[in-house]
Amino acid sequence: MSEASTSGNAVPLETPRRRDLLQAGMGAVALAYLGALGYPVYRYLATPAVRSRLEGQITSVAIAEKSLPAAGAATMFLFGTRPAMLIHHADGSWVAFDAVCTHLGCTVGFEPQNKRIFCPCHGGAYDMKTGDILGGPPPRALKAFKVEVSDGHVIVSRA
Amino acid sequence: MNYPTWDVPLIGSVWVVGAIAIFHVMISHFAVGGGLYLALAERKAVREQRTDWLEVIRKHSKFFLILTGVFGAVSGVGIWFSIGLASPESTSALIHNFVFGWAMEWCFFLVEIATAGVYYYTWHRVDARTHQRLGWIYAISSYGTLVLINGILSFMLTPGDRWLAAAGTGTEPAYFWSAFFNPTFWPSLALRTLVCCSLAGVWALVTASRLEEHLGELKAEVIRWSVRWLIPSFFLMPLAVLWYWSEVPENSRHLIQAGVSTIGSGLFTQVTRATLVTAMTSATILAIAYFLAWRNPRDFHLGHAVAVVFLALAATGSTEHAREMIRKPFTIGQYMYSDGVRRLQVAELNRVGYTTASPWNHSLDVGQLMFRGQCLNCHTLDGYRSIRRLLNGRDRKGIANMLAILHDQPKTSPYKNFMPPLAGTPAEMDALANYLNHLANEQQAVAGVSRGATHP
Amino acid sequence: MATSSYPAPESPLRSVYRWADERLGLADLAAFAAHKRVPQHAHSFWYYWGGISLLFFVVQLLTGILLLVYYRPGKEAFESVRQITYDNDFGWLIRSAHSWSANLMVFALFVHLFSVLFMKAYRKPREFGWWSGLGLLSLVMLFGFSGYLLPMDQLAYFATKVGLQIPGMIPGISGMVEDLVRGGPQVGEATVQRFFALHVVILPLVFLPLLGFHLYLVQKHGNAVPPGEARKPAAERRTIPFFPNFLAQDLAMWLIALNVVTILATLFPWDLGKMADPLAPAPLGIHPEWYFMSQFQLLKVVGVIVPGFGGEIAGMGLFGAATLFLAAIPLIDPDSRFGRRAKIAAWGGALVMIGMIVLTVWGYAAL
Repeated sequence: MSEASTSGNAVPLETPRRRDLLQAGMGAVALAYLGALGYPVYRYLATPAVRSRLEGQITSVAIAEKSLPAAGAATMFLFGTRPAMLIHHADGSWVAFDAVCTHLGCTVGFEPQNKRIFCPCHGGAYDMKTGDILGGPPPRALKAFKVEVSDGHVIVSRA
Repeated sequence: MNYPTWDVPLIGSVWVVGAIAIFHVMISHFAVGGGLYLALAERKAVREQRTDWLEVIRKHSKFFLILTGVFGAVSGVGIWFSIGLASPESTSALIHNFVFGWAMEWCFFLVEIATAGVYYYTWHRVDARTHQRLGWIYAISSYGTLVLINGILSFMLTPGDRWLAAAGTGTEPAYFWSAFFNPTFWPSLALRTLVCCSLAGVWALVTASRLEEHLGELKAEVIRWSVRWLIPSFFLMPLAVLWYWSEVPENSRHLIQAGVSTIGSGLFTQVTRATLVTAMTSATILAIAYFLAWRNPRDFHLGHAVAVVFLALAATGSTEHAREMIRKPFTIGQYMYSDGVRRLQVAELNRVGYTTASPWNHSLDVGQLMFRGQCLNCHTLDGYRSIRRLLNGRDRKGIANMLAILHDQPKTSPYKNFMPPLAGTPAEMDALANYLNHLANEQQAVAGVSRGATHP
Repeated sequence: MATSSYPAPESPLRSVYRWADERLGLADLAAFAAHKRVPQHAHSFWYYWGGISLLFFVVQLLTGILLLVYYRPGKEAFESVRQITYDNDFGWLIRSAHSWSANLMVFALFVHLFSVLFMKAYRKPREFGWWSGLGLLSLVMLFGFSGYLLPMDQLAYFATKVGLQIPGMIPGISGMVEDLVRGGPQVGEATVQRFFALHVVILPLVFLPLLGFHLYLVQKHGNAVPPGEARKPAAERRTIPFFPNFLAQDLAMWLIALNVVTILATLFPWDLGKMADPLAPAPLGIHPEWYFMSQFQLLKVVGVIVPGFGGEIAGMGLFGAATLFLAAIPLIDPDSRFGRRAKIAAWGGALVMIGMIVLTVWGYAAL
């Protein structure tokens, strides 16, 4: 077999200094590439830890009197980073739920006229007093919080 | 509601515009960066008295002339045709503000296109100095078109406070310059300039990779010189992106995060994914440029160059797509929604009705008019962002609930970040709900069963 | 002969390399790689497909391990895949990359199989390469079949149910299928659990050594030169060094393949259907994955011609005959003579390939 000269690396453009620069460049490209691949993987693996860290930082939220809902209405607030919902029922009782639909993560809304909590994205419906599933695609009930009413304000905390 | 709707089945009018625009961006940015490439390459060749280089540059300028003069110019006109049909209101609003800008752009474009022809046909017919000057005239005039268009495009994302304060008063054109040099003008210009340089290098690789085998030495030199055009992007692109990002409205920044944890349909998660494609393809272009083009220039074949061009197409395509998406729900930030309704008009339309002034008021059902006017701009029936798929088995009542959320935009609405408010009277909303119910539940489409891929 | 230029001495990288070299003998490896040459000719393009398949397999391995971190077989299978797809940061990306690269790997393997066949790279001394390759392909198909059930959505459930009916029809085996494969009269938790064991433990345990053997053989015998090229006088044949030239080209192909996976996975991520419900009616037009489509259609067509029980047997017999023919090709056409035997191998191979394509297209058209 003939050894036809098809290898093309004897180009005399590489001086030693330039070669160092090139190696640095190569390292940078490789790093950028690993970063592009590694970042999603890191986020993927870190999800439970990050979520529980974020959730763990907040154990209770106080809601001031002026933002409290009237009887038969609800108000939205942030429990840490997640949207949550405080409902003041017509019978005077208070409940609070995590307001993220367990189906695909939309924010749910209170529908007093239909006596339910409803997710507009795919029509998931939850019980307005317990958070249990009434219908639609959600796989799990809404997570309920503990609600304490003391003079003037309401404290919502992890159950 | 003053214009007919352009109903393009399956891909929607948005993707007709999108496809033409992405193709045009690929070519036009090359036209700008490539002008600079030709000028600098010719200067280098003349200074070093390299006649073999001059021959390569001449060949490249022919390729350049055909590609930019034919495909660039034609697709540019194609954008005008398609946006006029797809979003007449926004096009009209832009023309009312920027007619002077486009007049200037047209002048630069005429000079550019004429010089490109003269440049190619005067190779070896005029003296070297004159020919080089022609190259510089081309480079400067084509950069001028970029600067002007960039002002208008960046205006659409961030019109700026001064212009917005005047919006709707009839004195908008008086704020031409503040609209033109809007908050994202400079970062966007920096980004586009870098893209131009990179594309000049990428397309030059196509010419260089086709050099014959016996010109191995020359091929290696030209390829390495072309790869250098990617270096500015490599270092400065991350900075330019951060700069741009810092000027982008908060709501738009939010959209990038939306798709990190889910692909739930109807949640507008495509922006994240488009950004990922940009990152991946850009990194690959750099890797190929270094490992294949720079390290083994002689083995760099046309196939590799074409692969790089396709990667660049994917990168520019997804970037432009993401840029268009982060503007949602507006076509002109804070001023005009993507269905062509002005923000300040919404209250009025809710009172007197969206369809009352429509010239088709008597010939079409109100629900269908609403659908054509406010849905078909972004959705299609069964294809891209399919209305039938997104209604997801809702019944008449579910549809009405959904429309109420779109109309009232309560704080909990997941849609208000990327969908315009639905404008109209309660009667019109009711008619739209009937019409959608008819489309989704009565006119049953054949549902696919494959698990396969979702629509982007 | 020109070889690659090595980095200048005494850079930090270089001294690390020397440290490792003295202990591991890397220089021998480098010398070997520099010595190895790969033929270059009009059909060189097909040499890359084995490497491309390998890359897809590596993607499978890595994304598979990542999915394993959150996947829970058994009762919670669907819920855990739902969490991966809709809850976890970038979970959708990992899962979509796994699904897409699985499909692309099967495709690349078919291209590899038929390119080896038509370049006659199965001839002496490469018979075992051919056989081990066929074995790897069968294992990959099993990987695909077992992996498809794991999300436990409607489609997975019914596809597996239909898929298991085929071996279940053979008299004498049906009981064994129920006892051993399905783990019950219906596809259910028990099935997912054992398919999971098959997919992540048993199959890899068989696959990896076989892959090692296959790669060892490729290394030992080098790239086969197609007969047309081998007839040329030595002076007209060209080769390129494996390192760095061929490797660089290989790397380019890998990068392109990786980008194809990423672009498909990000722009067309894999959705999850509704949770499997044995009582729900089977979705319309239920069909297997595309790489089982030709067999599926073959059974359907033969079943129409030969009604009833015999049809199944005849269909499977035909499929078995085609497989046997492929396996026997190195024996039919063992060396570099050009004669009847070479023609039988070439035309028979073409028949199998065209048959598969026609049946697949037909299968989709008939849905």
